[in-house]
Amino acid sequence: MVNSIVTLLATLPIVFFLGLLFEGIDRKVHARMQRRIGPPIIQPFYDFIKLFSKERIVPVTAASGIFTAVPIIAAVASILGAAIPIANLITGTSIVGDLILVLYLLAMSSVMVMIGGSSSGNPYGGIGFSRKMTMIIAYEIPMLISIMSLSFSPCFSLTYYDVVSTQIRMKSLLAFTRLSMAVAAATFLLCIPAATDTVPFDISEAKTEIIHGSLIEYGGPYLALVKLAKAASNFALTFLAVTLFFYLPALSEGYVSLGLVGALCLCLVTALILMLFTVTVPRTVFARLKIGQAFKFHWLIPLTLSMLSVALSIVGL
Amino acid sequence: MTKESNDAKEIKVDYTRLRVPFGPVHPALKEPISLKVTVRKEEILDLDIRLGHVHRGIEALAENRNLIQAIYLVERICGICPHSHTTCFIQAVEEIGGIKPSERALYLRALVFELERIHSHLLILGLMAYEIGFETLFMFCWRVREEVLDLFEEITGNRVHHAMNTIGGVRWDLPPHLVEKVNDSLYKMEKSVKYIGEVFQDKTVEERLCEVGVLSYNEARELCVVGPTARGSGVSMDVRRDYPYAAYSELKDSFSVVLRDGADAYARMGVRIFELFESINLVRTILDELPNGSISMEESVLKLMREIPDGEAVSIVEAPRGELLHFVKTDGKEGLRRLKVRTPTFINVLSLKPMLTGGEIADIPVALASIDPCIGCANRIAVVDEDNKGEVKVISLETLRRRGRKW
Repeated sequence: MVNSIVTLLATLPIVFFLGLLFEGIDRKVHARMQRRIGPPIIQPFYDFIKLFSKERIVPVTAASGIFTAVPIIAAVASILGAAIPIANLITGTSIVGDLILVLYLLAMSSVMVMIGGSSSGNPYGGIGFSRKMTMIIAYEIPMLISIMSLSFSPCFSLTYYDVVSTQIRMKSLLAFTRLSMAVAAATFLLCIPAATDTVPFDISEAKTEIIHGSLIEYGGPYLALVKLAKAASNFALTFLAVTLFFYLPALSEGYVSLGLVGALCLCLVTALILMLFTVTVPRTVFARLKIGQAFKFHWLIPLTLSMLSVALSIVGL
Repeated sequence: MTKESNDAKEIKVDYTRLRVPFGPVHPALKEPISLKVTVRKEEILDLDIRLGHVHRGIEALAENRNLIQAIYLVERICGICPHSHTTCFIQAVEEIGGIKPSERALYLRALVFELERIHSHLLILGLMAYEIGFETLFMFCWRVREEVLDLFEEITGNRVHHAMNTIGGVRWDLPPHLVEKVNDSLYKMEKSVKYIGEVFQDKTVEERLCEVGVLSYNEARELCVVGPTARGSGVSMDVRRDYPYAAYSELKDSFSVVLRDGADAYARMGVRIFELFESINLVRTILDELPNGSISMEESVLKLMREIPDGEAVSIVEAPRGELLHFVKTDGKEGLRRLKVRTPTFINVLSLKPMLTGGEIADIPVALASIDPCIGCANRIAVVDEDNKGEVKVISLETLRRRGRKW
């Protein structure tokens, strides 16, 4: 128990580092795809340090208590959400049903940013709140159902390390074991762009429409924390998707010989590639959708797919 | 003003309505314009357009300068279509002075004119892509635009304010080695524009632009909108064809007026994309048919200016955004008695209200970009009446006309 907690605490700075590094790589690749030079990969670190050295401004119209508390809660929630899977992989144990906890923490971080926007007293923050609310309903439900469908299969559960160890035992990736799991993986991946607030689903903080919505009044250390929360939850989502559905170390013959560090590195590289395909490429090749169109998309395709995966799981495919 | 206070009362009672200030400072706006939008959730109920944040008093300034200085002042009305403004102004001055520029000068004016149209259209296509969150297309359009800017630098020596026109002709000739270079660049641009046209048919782009900012044919006629905004609604108007100026009377068979009847933002952007092809072809024709001869008058420009008598003239040109009008009244002593500029944006911006009422918040930047607004050109005076509790009066077109006549 103490061991697990120490590992979790030790993982927090790693998540901080990896989250910002992933964001930097995403920005660089995005720029290269647009034939720009782009910022250096460690630009997010510079941004973070710079923002922290700026003064704190709380608008007169804001409910100052909520406004200032929310970025901290968001950052802590998403960093914890990202740290739990990594810590679990390292210790090789996990609490029963901790997948629910992780998803809750990740959803928590976006809900917190949304509340921060509405507490700022800015009309754009209010519009951002209502748009984010709609988006959360759109993507969170299919995403949750796709994870739930794991528990409908006979040998899986909602315990994170159980899913990973099952993959190791079966020497196969979860997404390729059953049809239902493949469908669940597809649903999860389809929901990532919306969950990470990137184009085409960055409607809640559309820069040219509502000036970053919820983030409009944030600046200085608060903005740094909100950005950190976003970077960490991007990282957490891709890492979760990789380890749950595509745990590549399971394929290698001598799992033990690969070692813990080797396995983690393999997962991180896969997560990075996955992030490039689910976050960077869509935001390079699509235009932003309208809220109605985005909602329709999520309830037509990912929701149907998630239902399908539950149905297939129950049938036993 | 009474309408204003009524609105405030209504908002107090009706909590479902939210008054969102869109501008004067907003990332979707490149220049300050203030739209006060009343919304219920995402739906736009009402719209109030306010101009006047960047009024520079250019018309008044021009009255204190001589005609040559006024050319450079007029050039600075707009950074995207400076050549349109100078051409329009100089045409009026030449009309008053009875000066006829040489054929070659007229062709060179038309050449820079068309390059400027390419520049302006590429710019707004990129901006439109940016408004709908398609950053890659924005970067691509602006990269192609660099080609035109480089051409401007080669031909006129300046990338933005070209300073090409002068009374009685143009200031720079087009040497033969540049003709080659322009042709090369045109070939590259044509390929890129074809690609841009294809990307604009992307599904997500279509979903954002189609059925957005609809301005029907009748509304377009009633509001007298001009340029691509009118042509996107099916109104066939183009000054180059209707009232040819510069070399366009000889070139009128070399281009066609692009019309679309979709009447939405997509149709207006479609008009611009096809006008790019038309302009590229027109530049090629101009290069082929470029007559020989001198590019300016034999006398010095100062001498020409001194000989311009007291008189007045109206001149119109088809700027990239639509019909541009200059009214010039000279005083016969090298100076101007009155300069009146009516830019296309000033007319087009009024069409935002029918375009946006009933739309969504997400449509505001799209509709705004689809008329290609150049706010700096279009600003008019706002008078603050200190005695009357500091209320702001915006002078309407009608009052402006009345006062314009009085002056």
